[in-house]
Amino acid sequence: MDENELFLKYKETGDLALRNQIAERYLNVAAMIAKKFVGRGVEYDDLYQVAALALVKGIDRFDVSKGLKFSTFITPTITGEIKNYFRDRSRLIHLPRRVAELRVNVKKAADEILSETGKTPTAKELAERLNVSEEDVVCALEAGSVVSLDRPADSEEEGASFYDVLPAEEDAYEKIEQRDAVQAAMKTLSGAERQLVSYRFGQELSQVETAKRMNVSQMYVSRLERKILQKLRESLKKSMAE
Amino acid sequence: MMETLMNLQFPLRRELMTTVRLVTGGVCSLAGLDVDESEDCKVCVTESLLLLLHAGYSSARVCFEREGRLCVSLSGEGKASSEKRPSEEEDISVALLQALVDGLEMTREEGGVSCISFRFGSL
Repeated sequence: MDENELFLKYKETGDLALRNQIAERYLNVAAMIAKKFVGRGVEYDDLYQVAALALVKGIDRFDVSKGLKFSTFITPTITGEIKNYFRDRSRLIHLPRRVAELRVNVKKAADEILSETGKTPTAKELAERLNVSEEDVVCALEAGSVVSLDRPADSEEEGASFYDVLPAEEDAYEKIEQRDAVQAAMKTLSGAERQLVSYRFGQELSQVETAKRMNVSQMYVSRLERKILQKLRESLKKSMAE
Repeated sequence: MMETLMNLQFPLRRELMTTVRLVTGGVCSLAGLDVDESEDCKVCVTESLLLLLHAGYSSARVCFEREGRLCVSLSGEGKASSEKRPSEEEDISVALLQALVDGLEMTREEGGVSCISFRFGSL
């Protein structure tokens, strides 16, 4: 039976023996593509398995009537599955696929808008272009960055590291000390900044909701939040040193 | 404006593929591509060189340029005997390139592919 007949017969009958026959004919293609991605920290056997599964899935989707060769059809399918596998496995922080994809789209849209207008786009412009919410855009922009525990905790890149300032075990005495320190640090903030802290960390509102209540943009909230956290870090660091 | 990052000309021999892949990795890093993009770029450069090799070229020229994105162009030079490759393998190489890059352009001559260019990254 030639290739086309085999596919037509399988489409007609759904006979798994026929699907397996097709898969066996094209396993060499899966092997060939898997080999091209060796050396990126994933064993060949795992890549071959991913490629073989993609091959089986592809058989069900292939439409002989479109006149395409199966090997040409299946190559991008297998390549896509292998790339997804790398993406899911290689990140230190496993982002949900939706967020990871949005990150790529946000980056692309930002480039497009920059080349069209010559200006760096705002979160709102990006959200409109991609038809998603501003919060999703900000979340995608901020997701996935990895920070070393050895990195200095302050902006001057010197002094205590994140590891030094992260809390270990809690006890009641420490909690009182922390509350005092936070209260003192909060005094360094302006009224609007304190309001933002209350919305975001007291009432746990989203950035969008906070922006609505404060009658400002979400981007402003995001920037102000970063500034406040930096201020609080500095202040807490000082009080710890004392 | 297009900025040339590197221009290479070398005999098209299998034992030089690893060297070219290493150079490609270095250029990708200079161009600011991330690890995944640069690994994909290495695969594409290798596939393109294999296409040129099987078209019978004895040497190749690879040019890496940057114009927002990394632009790679490869061309075959000097005819030698063709190391014929099954057409299915060639189809797979082309389909793989199409799956991995943007703006793939290919020029074909009698013996096979003679020029390939593509772009990488979203700088």
